[in-house]
Amino acid sequence: MFRRLMALLFISLLLVPTLLAQETTNPWNDSHALAWEYDFETGYISTSPLFADEQIVVRTSGNSEPAVTAFDTNGNKTWQRLNPASTNNDMSPLLLVQPGEGECGMWPEMILVGWTNGVIEALNPSNGEVLWSIQTEVIGWGVTGQLALDGEFVIVPTRQGIGQYCLADGQQQWWTETGLGWRNGVAVDDTGYFIGDESGQLWHVNRTGMATSYDLQLGKIRHAPLLTDAGIFLHAQQDSSGLIAIVEPNDGHVLQQFPTGPSPALPSLQGDYVLTGDSSAVRIFICSTECEILDEVPFHTNGEIGWYENGMIYAPSNTFDSTWGLFTFDGRENLTVQSLDVGIQGYGTAAPLQYIVGGVLFTAFGNDHGVLRVYSEDATNELPPNNESPPNNQSSPNHESSPNHEFSSSVQGLVFVMYLLLGSSTVSLLNGKKEWFVRMFSLFILILCVLIVPDLSTQWSQTFDEKFPETSASEEWNEQWPDTWLGTQIVIIEIDGEEHVLGGFVGHETVFSLTQAACNEFGFELSSSSTELGMYVDSIDGVEAEGWVFAVDGSKGVVSSDQSKIESASIVRWSPV
Amino acid sequence: MFQAMGVHGPALSPLAALLMDVVLLGCAFWLLAKPTKRPIFDSLFLMSLVLSVSLLRVVMQPLPNVQPVTVAALLVGAQLGARRGAAFAVLVAMISNFFIGDGWWTLFQAAGWASIAFAGSRLSLVTSSGLNLRRACIASLVAAFWFDLVVSFSILDGTIGITEFITYLVHGLPFDFLHMVGNFVFVVWMGSWFSGLLQEEPTLE
Repeated sequence: MFRRLMALLFISLLLVPTLLAQETTNPWNDSHALAWEYDFETGYISTSPLFADEQIVVRTSGNSEPAVTAFDTNGNKTWQRLNPASTNNDMSPLLLVQPGEGECGMWPEMILVGWTNGVIEALNPSNGEVLWSIQTEVIGWGVTGQLALDGEFVIVPTRQGIGQYCLADGQQQWWTETGLGWRNGVAVDDTGYFIGDESGQLWHVNRTGMATSYDLQLGKIRHAPLLTDAGIFLHAQQDSSGLIAIVEPNDGHVLQQFPTGPSPALPSLQGDYVLTGDSSAVRIFICSTECEILDEVPFHTNGEIGWYENGMIYAPSNTFDSTWGLFTFDGRENLTVQSLDVGIQGYGTAAPLQYIVGGVLFTAFGNDHGVLRVYSEDATNELPPNNESPPNNQSSPNHESSPNHEFSSSVQGLVFVMYLLLGSSTVSLLNGKKEWFVRMFSLFILILCVLIVPDLSTQWSQTFDEKFPETSASEEWNEQWPDTWLGTQIVIIEIDGEEHVLGGFVGHETVFSLTQAACNEFGFELSSSSTELGMYVDSIDGVEAEGWVFAVDGSKGVVSSDQSKIESASIVRWSPV
Repeated sequence: MFQAMGVHGPALSPLAALLMDVVLLGCAFWLLAKPTKRPIFDSLFLMSLVLSVSLLRVVMQPLPNVQPVTVAALLVGAQLGARRGAAFAVLVAMISNFFIGDGWWTLFQAAGWASIAFAGSRLSLVTSSGLNLRRACIASLVAAFWFDLVVSFSILDGTIGITEFITYLVHGLPFDFLHMVGNFVFVVWMGSWFSGLLQEEPTLE
């Protein structure tokens, strides 16, 4: 009897691959086709593009000249606004303002751009002309957070404060000092404005500029607070984890707390529902009288989450082999995710843009690779001949490159062998051939382990690092480094006994991501190869030596550089062996 | 002598590498030196055994931490004794690393497999009725973890503290597990055959 039960168990295992295969089927690939693409060649697309005046407007920065660039609906560049003075990664989302009138005067449709050199510009969407420009404070960085509209004013989160400016001419109404902030957007309600800071304080500023702070000690607040019926929704970043808190808006009292994974994404609010993301999962909450987790799915996202009117939810996976997550929420308590490969590799934090032209829905994707790819929902669309972007050898997701449609003979063969082994194990067990059962089943387990242990190891390392973060730090801050690098990520690369140092990087999650960005800025060629144990750096600037080793804050790396997590203020040192 | 420090321990200068190879080879020949009744046949047999297992290791390199040498060292030690088992371990480590990558870690790999061969010679894995499969399975599981531990010592170069070393070990646990599963498979599939293959060879003890 026992033997038959075991046999039944093994036979049921045979069904597992079939079930898994069903889960990976992705209908998005069947219904979307590449419409056009544009390769910026350098620079990151760190924030979602916007659609204005029948144009797709994208901001790029990082290792390129910071710019806002517009394209017509066929992918032809129409205008570009450069800001060479903005030297850091620009991540403040572009803000489209509809025309209007107020006490300050009238204003046309315009795009508001906040730059890391503290400049706020109002651009004409049709030609990129600057309508007005103002300078706000710079303390290492300028504007990094999300601007907000309040009647005839734009509310600007500056580096260490918040200001109210007329939409008509940019005239400052008031500016109030708060805490040092980064990517800290502003939320607007009937009583005024809410903003968080790096020290974990939540600030309320009324419409005359009077500020009140609540020292929540939750961690770094790096998003615009969300105003829900259950209270103010905050997702704070701690050293190696995250924390969601629901805060009473009147007195700053913390009502609820939910521990999460590290490096929170910008949460997204739709009605009573809130979507959050971090390096471990995407969660959906319902916040009516109080907040409650409805569901969560494993996913690694640290930037924007796009939640659109048609119910589509997209989030960029901020990992080396970046894909996008396409999430479905059934309106009750089920959140599911499908992996979407749109043919762009690299880390990403920008939510896609959705827009409709001629009744066709288009979705524009961009990430740190600096390539903008636009897909149309109509699968019969073809690439227009007048696309000025250089040819890209990565094909459309509904062709061979899509992992969902890819046929890998080696993997299929391996799965077939596993079927055979399981079947043989079952037969051996039923026939009482214990020795052969052990042989067949152990071989099955070995193949299974070979397939899953590399990924399992990554998860294991991440979990371990989160639970037991490194505390020793011996890499010292160098007084000769510029102050603008304080609190940022810094890379030191030793070549021929000389130290090449670059800082001011933000938002990188892993040593490898940061090193890629640094090498781009240095102009060094970074040669790496993917191994079962992670990314292996073969050479930097052509120097191979006997390998390269890295240290984070003085502690030697014990896992591969793409698995080695870094904090928002880390010093990474690469040395040739 | 040591050129630089790294995660894989110190990198060896050409002189240090040569010295290490000479020491390892010297040990291997000293361990093998005792004459037998059939010196040519035995030497040829051992040579082909070493080459085959080395080749197997090189071929299986793409599979992460699946190490056929561990079980081979255990069984060679069990059948031919500690002396030949240790010589086998040193030679296989040197020859296979010639293709895979030589360095400071070769010393630790050779030591790890040699110690496993020694353990194999003392664990009574082979009885008059052949290989004790149950005992060999258990020994191979422990040997996997032991070998990984010994090789991990190669990263200690004076700059790594105990906490970092433990962190390094913990990070590697999934691959230690894979090594154990691999060893188990080798023993249940090839243990008896391999042990039988060595049966004709005399021990030197």
